[in-house]
Formats: sequence, C-alpha cells, structure tokens
Amino acid sequence: MTFDFVEPVVFAVLSIGVIGAGAAVVLINRITAAALLMALTFLCMAGMFVLLGAETIAAFQVLIYVGAITVLILYGVMFTKYGDRPYGLFFQRQTPLAAVFVFALAVPVAYWAFFFTSPPPRPGGGDLPALATSVFTDYAFPFEVASVLLLAAMVGAIVLTKRDETHEFDERRRR
Amino acid sequence: MPIGPFGLDPVIWAPLRLVVAVALALFLILNGALLQIYLERKIQAMMQDRLGPYHVGPFGLLQTFADALKLIAKEDVRPKGTDSYFFLAAPALVFCPMLASWVVLPFAGDIVGANLNIGLLYLTTLGSMTVLGIVVAGWASNNKYALVGGLRSAGQLISYEIPQILALVSVVLVVGSLSMVDITRSQAGPLVNVLILPFSFVIYFIAALAETNRTPFDLPEAESELVAGWLTEYSGMRWGTMLALSEYGNVTVVCGILATLWLGGWQGPGVDALPLLGVVWFTLKVYALILVFMWIRATLPRLRIDQLMSFCWKGLIPAALVNILVVAVLSLAFPDTRAPVAIGSWILLIAFVAGLPLVQRRRLAGLRERARRSALPVRAAS
Repeated sequence: MTFDFVEPVVFAVLSIGVIGAGAAVVLINRITAAALLMALTFLCMAGMFVLLGAETIAAFQVLIYVGAITVLILYGVMFTKYGDRPYGLFFQRQTPLAAVFVFALAVPVAYWAFFFTSPPPRPGGGDLPALATSVFTDYAFPFEVASVLLLAAMVGAIVLTKRDETHEFDERRRR
Repeated sequence: MPIGPFGLDPVIWAPLRLVVAVALALFLILNGALLQIYLERKIQAMMQDRLGPYHVGPFGLLQTFADALKLIAKEDVRPKGTDSYFFLAAPALVFCPMLASWVVLPFAGDIVGANLNIGLLYLTTLGSMTVLGIVVAGWASNNKYALVGGLRSAGQLISYEIPQILALVSVVLVVGSLSMVDITRSQAGPLVNVLILPFSFVIYFIAALAETNRTPFDLPEAESELVAGWLTEYSGMRWGTMLALSEYGNVTVVCGILATLWLGGWQGPGVDALPLLGVVWFTLKVYALILVFMWIRATLPRLRIDQLMSFCWKGLIPAALVNILVVAVLSLAFPDTRAPVAIGSWILLIAFVAGLPLVQRRRLAGLRERARRSALPVRAAS
C-alpha cells in the first residue's frame, strides 16, 4: 500500500474548493460572506501551488491575498454602509446574452483542456534563490512595470481621497 | 519490508507521525496557555505588590486549571443578533493558523514537525492569517465595541507585519536560509545572532508585541475603551479558545521565532553530547522571552491608536528599511566576516535609541506651537 491515491484526492478537494467558492463569491448576496469565500478560493489556489511543488508561490499567495487583500476588503466593507445587494440588478436582462458568451467561451476551453498534456512540473519551486534570480534578471522589466502600476494606483487613491486640509480647518472654525 | 523509525513500516509511520505531532502540539498549547496565564497573573501581582492566585493548589498553581474547567462547563451563550456561521467560525479561524505554525518550530536538533525550506515565510504567512479571524469575530458579533476592536486589530496587524517581515529579512540575508533548522545550526558558537543583528532583534521584538496584541499595543481589546474589543460577545470555551489558547499560543510562537532566529534556538552547552538537552535550552529561551513580554505588560501604559500607527509607519518601517540597506551592503562588501555587519547594526541601534528623545522633543515643540496658534484668535477675541 502506498499513498499515491492521496494526491488526486487532495486535488479534487481543492478543485471543488476553488470552483465552488469562486462561484459562490459571484452568486451569494451577502458581501462579507463573499469576501470570506474569496479568501477560501485563494487558500485552495495556494494548495494547488503546493501540489505543483511551488511552496514559495503558495506562501506568497496566502500572505498577500488572504492575509492582506481580503482583510482590506473586509475593512472597506465594514466602513461602508451595507445592505444586502439588490438581487440581480445589473445582470437580470443580460442573462441570455451572458449564457451565449459563457457557452462560446466554455466549449473551446473544455475541448482544449481535454487534449492538453502539460509538461511535467519541475521540482524545486520552493527554491527561493532560483526564483529570486529569475525575478530580478529575466523578469526584471515586468516586475518594475508592475511596481510602477501599483505606485500609480496608490498615488491616485491618495489624490482622490485627500481633502484640502486648510480649507476644512477654516470651515470647522467658522461653524 | 522497509523498516522506519521504531521498527515500524514507513507506510504506517507517516500518518502516525502526523497524529503524534498534532497531539503533541495541542498538548503543549493547552498546557502552555494554562502555565502562561498563571505566570502572567503571578508576575503582575508580584510587580504590583499583590499576592495573585493562591487559594487553589500549592501557590495557586491549580487556579488556571479550575478556570479552564469552568470555561468548558459554561453554558454556550450566543447573542441573538450575531451572524451565526461567522460567529462560530471565528475562533477556529484564529486558532488554526496558530496551531499550524507550530509545525516548523525546532524544539531540538531532530524534534521538528517539518523542516520546510521556506519555514520563516510559512510562519509569517500564518501570522498574517490570524487577522482574518479577528476581523470576522469583530464583524459577526454585531456589537459596536467588537467592530471597533476588529477594525483596530486589522489596521494594527497589517501595519506591524511590515516591520516584522523586514526585520526577518536581515537575518535571512546574513544566514542565507529561510529554514528554521538551518538558521539554528548557523549559530553554533556563543556568537548568536542577537550580537550580530541587535537592531533587527529590537524591531522584531516591538513589532511582535503589536502582532500578539500585548501591552502597550493591546488596543484591539483595550478594556478601558472597548469593554473587551473583538472578544466582547464571546463567552465560555469560545472565548477561551480565542483569548487564552490563541493569544498565548501566538506569544509562544513569536517567542519561538525570536529564540530561534536571534538567540540560537536549541543550541546551548552540552547539546552535542545529549541532543535532548536542546528541548530544555529552547524552552528556557522561549520562556525567558515570554517573561519579558509579561514584564513589559506590567510596566508600560497603553498607546493611543494614532500614536500606534504613526510609530509604525514613521518610526519602525523606515528604521527597518535602513537596517536592511546597511546589512545588505555590509554583508555583500565583506562576505567572509560578520564583524562589519555587527558594528553597523550596533551603531544603528544606538542611533535609534539616542534619536528617540530628540524626535520626541521636536514633536512636543510642534504640538505646543500648534496649540498656541489655535489659542491665539480666542485670546484676541476675549
């Protein structure tokens, strides 16, 4: 007896987690539940990375997406006035059109997926020096572009939300 | 048939090892929490000139056991307006990451759950997941105090994670490995990392106090402002799981990281001859650090939330970045010896500690100036 059967079982559980939780995020009405289910999706994705032997990517996935981004989304939800989302406000009329698009996309993807043979995953994804070397040499330009994009987003957020402080001070004084 | 440890078939040994490891970790967490609560109460009593618990058992040693039994036997109270599933899930969300992070703590040379080569990254990852449980607990309680506690906790933990990770990076730069076992092995002599990298030790220590919600950073559960913060609506063993087990378990994990990275972990005199002695050294180091945490709790008052945030973003993070820069440059320039790194780190530490009064004085002057300016029109009008 060996433990070869464990990996497919784990993969099946994780796939159900990713797809089920991902579908629930879109379909569910409660926004906090949706945020938490998104965290579950990220966790299952991290599990997939572990199965592929890329522990480092999995750790970063959990660290950034579950630990920081989901918490920030929950934070935002708690600060905004919330109510249950009105049911199907935007998408109600487009249902047939959406179905056509989904079908048009899903059939080729499914067809492709059945005849897809992946190269075997190379072990050593937990090898941090190799990963760091490739990020800072081969992929240095995309890395920098991504960081500039994030910087621009951050500056934009600050500019959008910053108020004129002296003006506000005067307003408060006048009251 | 291949023979594994204890003459067992490896196929049987693999799942058995998992069960034994989890059972051992649970045993240590449960008893560690009981012991630490007792220690905390006794030490605070000592420092505040009281007696502390002394009725149950000799020296009050059984007091926390009695408390735990009471918590388990308590009626499960669930307020009506709470968000049922989240309210039930939150204690588990807080507890599970803490339990999982015990996997990589090296108790002795061979006594470690799993020698992951990304052990340190794994620990920080799990540390960041605790926030989710706390935020959910604050949200699901449907209580304003709990919500504010949860929000404070989210802000605080996300902010203090940054200097924490940046402080870890400097150790990784010097040692060259993320594995907890390798980091311990690299500090074989008396020259442990705290002598080479004292500045990152101090940064991590401060950030760890905030990360485990200990005084002076226990704002998420500040009892004078928020009743009990995110724990307000919880009672019985749910409260016990969240507060007692998770908080003290987290304190133990953080002290384990501190002991492993900077104090040499299980290394100590006589370990080479008797490997099991490593457990003793590791436990002693961890509990010495826990005692310092308790000492700080009995000494320092609580900060305000804006002071907490500005200290992190304007003080700790720049300091940690400068630390990384100095350590990286010096260890690249002198790959053979660690002396320049040590000298640079000590200079940074002295500059940081000596700079605090100067910054404080400038801040006070600024505050006084602002107060005077805002008082001027009032005085002119009267």
